Amino acid sequence: MSPRASGATKRRRTIPAIDRLGGLLLGLVAGFALLLLVAPSLIVIAISFEPRAFISFPPSGFSLRWYWAVFENRQLTDSILVSLEVATLVMLAALLLGVPAAFASVRGTFPGKAGANAFLLAPQMMPGMVIGIAMLFFGAYVGFRASDLMLVVALTVFCIPFTIRIVMARLAGLDPRLDEASANLGAGPAETFLRVTVPQLGPALLAAAAFTFIEAFDNVTVALFTSDVRGRPLPVELYYLVQNDSTPAIAAISAMEIMLSFVVMLVIARTVGLERLGR
Amino acid sequence: MTQIEIAGVGKRFGAHQVLRDCTLSIARGQVLTLLGASGCGKTTLLRIIAGFLDPDEGEVRIQGRDITTLPPNRRQVGYVFQNYALFPHLTVAENVAYGLKVRRRPRAEIADRVRAALETVALAGFADRYPARLSGGQQQRVAIARALVLEPEVLLLDEPFNALDAKLRLAMQVELRKLISRVGITSIFVTHDQAEAMTLSDQVAVMREGRIEQLAAPLDLYDRPATPYVATFIGRANVVPVTVRGGAVEGVPGVAAARADGPAALVLRPENLRLLAAGAPGVVWNGRVAFATADGPTMELELDAGLAEPLRAVLPRRAGEAAPAAGTLLGLGIADPAGCAVIPHAG
Ligand SMILES: Nc1ncnc2c1ncn2[C@@H]1O[C@H](COP(=O)(O)OP(=O)(O)O)[C@@H](O)[C@H]1O
Ligand SMILES: [Mg+2]
Repeated sequence: MSPRASGATKRRRTIPAIDRLGGLLLGLVAGFALLLLVAPSLIVIAISFEPRAFISFPPSGFSLRWYWAVFENRQLTDSILVSLEVATLVMLAALLLGVPAAFASVRGTFPGKAGANAFLLAPQMMPGMVIGIAMLFFGAYVGFRASDLMLVVALTVFCIPFTIRIVMARLAGLDPRLDEASANLGAGPAETFLRVTVPQLGPALLAAAAFTFIEAFDNVTVALFTSDVRGRPLPVELYYLVQNDSTPAIAAISAMEIMLSFVVMLVIARTVGLERLGR
Repeated sequence: MTQIEIAGVGKRFGAHQVLRDCTLSIARGQVLTLLGASGCGKTTLLRIIAGFLDPDEGEVRIQGRDITTLPPNRRQVGYVFQNYALFPHLTVAENVAYGLKVRRRPRAEIADRVRAALETVALAGFADRYPARLSGGQQQRVAIARALVLEPEVLLLDEPFNALDAKLRLAMQVELRKLISRVGITSIFVTHDQAEAMTLSDQVAVMREGRIEQLAAPLDLYDRPATPYVATFIGRANVVPVTVRGGAVEGVPGVAAARADGPAALVLRPENLRLLAAGAPGVVWNGRVAFATADGPTMELELDAGLAEPLRAVLPRRAGEAAPAAGTLLGLGIADPAGCAVIPHAG
């Protein structure tokens, strides 16, 4: 065998070895990342079943007493209600404002469109804290005090880029010729919207609503500065709670939130397909 | 009776003049093809007729009625899109029923007409499928059924065979031509394939850079091209610069030219040339063979006769005959002088 040929066989043999090693490394890194992401959630869920009055891991037994404790705590139930209410309002406002905005920025042709797009999506580039503080200072200037309403406004500003982006992504994927086909078959613009656009947009609207709701429900950074001192939303309430107390009740609330998010994702996965959200 | 008329239509996109002074009319039940290279404005003209675009100037009339400013949903004009544009969230039957539902027809009538339309395009068994699960040819037929079920005054088809493979394309062309003459609907096809235009149409409008270069029956287009562009776009042609004097072409005996004296171009189809010995009687051009090949029934050769381009000839081949070797000195004459066209000079 010539030296050249043997070199070639050698190389052929070494490449799969490197591939295998690369695959192994990739698998390890991916597994580690997954562990980092998932492990805290799993630990929190485990801790929430702790029967004793202090946090320990692994839990010393199994009990649901901290779940009951959450619902017996007026302060906590009130803040859950505030958060549900605020998240619902933010979700509605973001959809009401965001869907038409997404339409304009995908389908519209008007001067300054690029600028308008950048402006709409700008809050996403900004830390929530900045939005919260800006809102608070601006509120002080115009005599608008931190309150549920301010929280809703600030969170809507914060969340609307998420809403717009999800709807935009789907809209951009729709074939504008379908609208022309509909018009050609006799449908006016409103009927085309209802018969062609909405059915295809439906899943994206559902996803946008769910994500906006979750985002608004568990936001701390914006809420810290803009919420009412008396009617604190849940994340802020928890933030203050962990400062002087660490009961397994906090783990129980977190576990409930995790499960809520999980259920929402599951519903979306079943109805829409998660892979379609990215588009 | 004129079914549809386009008069002086022009369209600009920004600084780009895409259509200029397009004028044509189609009699009821006729099939017209817009033929031209990609980017010459065919789709734009079709979209103006459908109402998706407004022309900058000119008019579109259907049965004498000006519809230039009518919104697309109030025109009785069917449109088959290049990619078919079927609604992905609706089944085949729902796609076909769409226009009838929009028109608020009674349920039973919709069901009947949809069934009949699907039978017409031989898709009766596919009513409940979604478009994603159909082949290209089936999607095309759904798109046609969806337009035809509304019995439009005019049917517009934008390169309807483009998405189909070559074999299916031929079959569908024949099928569609039969279907159109059966339902007797006035149609405008768009294509960039001249063979397709020849098969399908009663009239062909050759478009070039936004203008209609020539409007004629397919064979007239071949036999009597009006410009060098048409002559070379429809089939192959030798376009030879000549001089017209006193109603005849100088140096080319037997070819009449109903033109004023001066420079002109002679259009010679390759199959209208005959091969002779150099200098023999009837020879118009002498020269050396630049290239020759034979493929059974015919042979094809290029003769370098001192013109700007070599003359191309397609000649019948007798058994045992070989193509002449390159460099052979030969003569070419014209088989049928009446079959030549004399047209304006290319420049
Ligand atoms: N909406 C548009 N905006 C700008 N230019 C366009 C638009 N539609 C078509 N054009 C241009 O007009 C010319 C003709 O396009 P089109 O009618 O689609 O050609 P064809 O169908 O013959 O291939 C092309 O140069 C194309 O780039
Ligand atoms: Mg086109």
